[in-house]
Amino acid sequence: MPDTDRLNATFAALADPTRRAILARLALGETSVQKLAEPFAISLPAISRHLKVLEHAGLISRGRDAQMRPCRIDTAGLIGVDHWLEEYRKLWRESMDKLEGYLAVMKAQQQAEGDAPQKKTRSVKRQGTGHARKD
Amino acid sequence: MPAKTSLDLNDPVSIKGTREFDAPVELVFAAFTDVKHLSQWWGPNGFTTTTSHFEFREGGTWRFVMHGPDGRDYENRVTFDIIEPNRRIAYHHGGGDDGEPIRFSQTVTFEDIGGGRTRIVWHGVFPNAEMRDFVIKEHGAAKGLQETTARLAGYVATMMRS
Repeated sequence: MPDTDRLNATFAALADPTRRAILARLALGETSVQKLAEPFAISLPAISRHLKVLEHAGLISRGRDAQMRPCRIDTAGLIGVDHWLEEYRKLWRESMDKLEGYLAVMKAQQQAEGDAPQKKTRSVKRQGTGHARKD
Repeated sequence: MPAKTSLDLNDPVSIKGTREFDAPVELVFAAFTDVKHLSQWWGPNGFTTTTSHFEFREGGTWRFVMHGPDGRDYENRVTFDIIEPNRRIAYHHGGGDDGEPIRFSQTVTFEDIGGGRTRIVWHGVFPNAEMRDFVIKEHGAAKGLQETTARLAGYVATMMRS
């Protein structure tokens, strides 16, 4: 299972529509923060906060150029989500295999209890047998 | 031997599967409702489970640690949203202050298919439809990016038009 802190950050980052819009814009190519902010009716500092969240989530990376610091999309975050989904699919697949075996155990236990000398259970069993004979 | 579990792979961000068991629905449901049973089968191969809290009622939680074969522990918290005996269980992951991936919901339905057999369908989804759609599109796009960034631009152009 992947790093859950990063995964948490990725899920939280993707839950916000503005951040998804930023990612959609960045998918067209890398750009500066100023250019990125243009289509949004929010302040530059607000955009910067969103970018920090996206960067922490592994969804974008920032260039080293001190003045420009261009933003580009990063696949690490989405790959994390993909891994988590794959692990979860595996969890179900393998749990269901194990459940099949365990149900056989439960059935055997139930049967053993049914065969135990308990009046109530026995009478139910006899009824069942009688019914089968009629057919 | 064909796979016993069928998985729907059309939707890359949901977890959906179907499985049939040779056991009556009451028994299959019972296997989900008690920690004594759950600890016997829940988890991937090689994992064991330690439960610290289990309250099988609507609004109740199941807190447990999954111990991986690599020695790592994974904290889990599940909250039960809907419980319909022998029919359906809906729950969600995470929430609170634990380290679980947030807001992922899961539904398990139980169906009596006759002959003492039961069909289980499990379906996990992101509760936020936009987020889910974004992951589907960008996830596909991200795979493309590994080969060529041009493909990513194509995906997003389609997404912008839709």
